[in-house]
Amino acid sequence: MTTEPSLANLVVKKNEPPVGNYLWEDPPDEDKFSACVHCGLCLEACPTYQELGHEHQSPRGRIHSIVAVAEGKIDINEAFEDPMFTCLDCRACETACPAGVQVGALIEEARGQVRQARPLKGWQGLVSRFFLRGVFPHTKRLHTLGMLTKIYQKSGAQTVVRKSGAKKVLPDHLGAMEAIMPDVGRPVLKTHPERIPAEGEQKGSVSMFTGCIMDVMYSDVNEATVRVLTKNGHSVEMPKQQQCCGALHVHAGDREMGKKLARENIDTFLEADADHVVVNAAGCGCALREYPELLQNDDEYREKAERFAEKVLDVSKYLYDYGYRAPEAELRKRVTYHDACHLAHGQGVWDEPRDLLEDIPGVEMVPLPNADRCCGSAGIYNITHPDMAGRLLDRKIEEVPDDVEMISMGNPGCMLQMAMGVMNHGRDEAIVHTMQLLDWAYQLEGGETDD
Amino acid sequence: MTEKAEMVEEMIRQLGDDAVLHRKEDLLTYECDGLTVYRGMPLAVVFPSSTEEVSGVVKWLHEHEIPFIPRGAGTGLSGGATPFGGEVIISLVRMKRLLDVDYDNREAVVQPGYINLTLTNSITHKGFYYAPDPSSQACCTIGGNVAENAGGAHCLKYGVTTNHVLGLEVVLHNGEIVEIGGVPDAPGYDLMGLVTGSEGTLGIVTSITVRILKNPEAEETAMAYFDSVEDASYAVSGIIAAGIVPAAIEMMDEIAIQGVERATNPVGHPEGSKAVLIMEVDGIATGIEEQIEEMVSVCERHNVVDIKVAKNDRERGRWWANRKTAFGAMGAISPAYLVQDGVIPRSRLSEVLAHIADISAESGLRIANVFHAGDGNLHPLILFDARNEGETDLALDVGSRTLEACTAVGGSITGEHGVGIEKKEDMRLVFSDEEIERQITVRSVFNPHNLLNLDKQFPKPARCGEVKQAVGSGEAHQVAEQR
Ligand SMILES: Cc1cc2nc3c(=O)[nH]c(=O)nc-3n(C[C@H](O)[C@H](O)[C@H](O)COP(=O)(O)OP(=O)(O)OC[C@H]3O[C@@H](n4cnc5c(N)ncnc54)[C@H](O)[C@@H]3O)c2cc1C
Ligand code: SF4
Ligand code: SF4
Repeated sequence: MTTEPSLANLVVKKNEPPVGNYLWEDPPDEDKFSACVHCGLCLEACPTYQELGHEHQSPRGRIHSIVAVAEGKIDINEAFEDPMFTCLDCRACETACPAGVQVGALIEEARGQVRQARPLKGWQGLVSRFFLRGVFPHTKRLHTLGMLTKIYQKSGAQTVVRKSGAKKVLPDHLGAMEAIMPDVGRPVLKTHPERIPAEGEQKGSVSMFTGCIMDVMYSDVNEATVRVLTKNGHSVEMPKQQQCCGALHVHAGDREMGKKLARENIDTFLEADADHVVVNAAGCGCALREYPELLQNDDEYREKAERFAEKVLDVSKYLYDYGYRAPEAELRKRVTYHDACHLAHGQGVWDEPRDLLEDIPGVEMVPLPNADRCCGSAGIYNITHPDMAGRLLDRKIEEVPDDVEMISMGNPGCMLQMAMGVMNHGRDEAIVHTMQLLDWAYQLEGGETDD
Repeated sequence: MTEKAEMVEEMIRQLGDDAVLHRKEDLLTYECDGLTVYRGMPLAVVFPSSTEEVSGVVKWLHEHEIPFIPRGAGTGLSGGATPFGGEVIISLVRMKRLLDVDYDNREAVVQPGYINLTLTNSITHKGFYYAPDPSSQACCTIGGNVAENAGGAHCLKYGVTTNHVLGLEVVLHNGEIVEIGGVPDAPGYDLMGLVTGSEGTLGIVTSITVRILKNPEAEETAMAYFDSVEDASYAVSGIIAAGIVPAAIEMMDEIAIQGVERATNPVGHPEGSKAVLIMEVDGIATGIEEQIEEMVSVCERHNVVDIKVAKNDRERGRWWANRKTAFGAMGAISPAYLVQDGVIPRSRLSEVLAHIADISAESGLRIANVFHAGDGNLHPLILFDARNEGETDLALDVGSRTLEACTAVGGSITGEHGVGIEKKEDMRLVFSDEEIERQITVRSVFNPHNLLNLDKQFPKPARCGEVKQAVGSGEAHQVAEQR
């Protein structure tokens, strides 16, 4: 083999201006991708790279591909789609990146282009349109779905399904999900009044974003959150017109619907005019805080989006920053804490929930190794990419220390995923939200025993 | 079947479907390493999981005369893992196990894809660590470290990678597996010294035995700000002259400071500081206080503006994160950068820096300086925008001129990043044609057909294009076993 490599031929003379193969609105932003200097410091932070070792499945590789499309070197095809959608959107790379590259936003923009160029077909298209367009944008329909689930659970049908092995006809991972479905309560958006006054001296007032999965699947967490807030002197307002945050849409590349929901939420909450909008679902909180990004090309809403996003805080950070009192009763539990990606990497909230938990008398915190590595839930990722999601979940559960009784976290998607992991591994740790632990501790003060 | 299709089929047969990448889209990101100005497309990337798999792949490629390149994390800064076009990349990242730790003998055995920092993280609970700490340590592989003889902030006191490698398992150009080193001071040639730093041109490292060290009993870190780089450089010389052996002395200049403050790990360096020094001493607890006090007083003699000592490990950690992410932080102030890696006698620091400032002014490109000041290893970061016509070439030229500035005072063209593609031609600044030829003769003992990381590291000698490949592969093996 004789090659006569010439140095001059290898020098990249000039990158073509990005027009390339992005043909639709909101293409990946040149300012964002040109910040990447290809240093590779994000590689080991990326769960999909850790699993596969393939660089096109790493943050650096994904950005490289995004740039290549912009420069017209490759097309938007299946080979481009795969790494864009195998990304968990977990943002671990953003924590690791010294240059502050907004990898998540770039990938979401790329997904928007992919979905325009290659709409989902067949049953995948049907299912995705049904949920993304038909259910999530309509709070009522979502609640109806919740009701149906509840009827399914209460009517004995669930028992029948579980016993009869009917769930064997479901794909493996869906069967497993069915098995861990929490008992569905009634959404707080329906059960609670628009305004819940603070207990005792008023220290603050907040609007609460209830989240759709959270409110349908884990309304008990929302109830606990309301109690913890009011107990600490913060009145809670729940604007009834609020909508799904649109995170699932943006992740799936449906930016159109994502933007529509964003505008509605911005209007609703700006009208309510509270100083803060608190959220207990990390995925929603992160999405709400990124509305300005989503609406950057919308002249009418850009500024409103910024005003709104500044108000949004995760509930743990809100309590920590704006006043809370440590519970007095003892809750003797060994607890470990899992960082939801969209809380830690997405919103920079690491210490606050841990500090809140540590302040509960009797709680013994046990560190979880690699607590901030994604559990594989990632919105609906565990449904679209069961294999990768399963691998990450196994690693996560294997690292949970043997002797803890509870795993605490701040996101409903993680709670479902971790519950499934604990079950699959034949373990019995309780999966709880940080607000639930606080709530129980406060309740114990009243002499109730609720654990 | 085309040559490529046949190769891909064979690789899949040997390694499995998910261990071979061959579509253009999947290969693109492998067209360069951490140095993006040179790019070439590989034919394929393969991911062996064991020494035997590496050997099988190499044997086949050797028989079919297809050139190949070992690659770790691809964080290299000289294009060592960058293809010229048409090579097969052998990625070692799936070989990432810690094979053995022997605390009594203070040794660890790792696979080549094992990440540098992961080693320290895995042994820290026993009070041990792995000393070489390149700033890329959170991601780069120990195999890549061996190939580049990587250094780091703490190599001032503890030495570079070669001082910590005890034994290697290497797959030779024809697929043969040999072990070298393992016993201290073995008779015969120091082949480990030869292979370490050979940038993947002599063999593929498939297992590494490294020395691990006991954590120091105590450490103290100080940060000092100066109004001029001259003052800071005199302070560095003063500290070394005072007989202190610091674990590290790092310097960043004004532009570098702006970069890190705008990036992900700001620590609040005062606005307008012209230079900052980060200094660390470690060792047995007694004496540490005195050493740091002495360093403070040397800095004071050289007009230090402000100096502070890290209050705790957390603060120390933040300071180091700030320094160690400095290259990447350039992304916050420039769309691209080119980092150079010159070495100079420490006493000439301020003179060379002034020269570099002139080059910057003449060319119109900003240059940030980040460096291991204690051992005179400069990293001028040339900031440019590849989208501007001709600016990449200009940056490359500026890079070469900064190296000339180093060699002019008796320095060298690389301290730790290697030669790779980037500095091939610059080798002429330090070696005569004859010397280059001699080194290529050594290479051909191990790499007779120039298939292993084809044409890296050395320029073609101007006088004679061909180097006689007198030594056959069989003999290469003998040499390897001789030690
Ligand atoms: C932000 C940043 C900071 C850096 N800081 C430092 C620093 O402080 N000090 C320093 O020394 N370097 C530094 N580097 C450079 C780089 O990280 C080192 O050279 C590192 O050793 C490369 O390791 P890698 O795994 O990325 O190897 P790669 O880049 O993949 O490969 C480097 C070379 O090694 C060869 N190679 C890789 N694996 C093997 C193997 N198993 N057997 C044989 N050859 C092999 C390749 O062919 C190539 O020639 C930095 C890089 C970046 C991006
Ligand atoms: S968001 Fe997560 S999965 Fe996606 S590139 Fe970043 S680290 Fe990897
Ligand atoms: S995303 Fe950030 S960390 Fe990753 S390669 Fe680009 S600049 Fe480096």
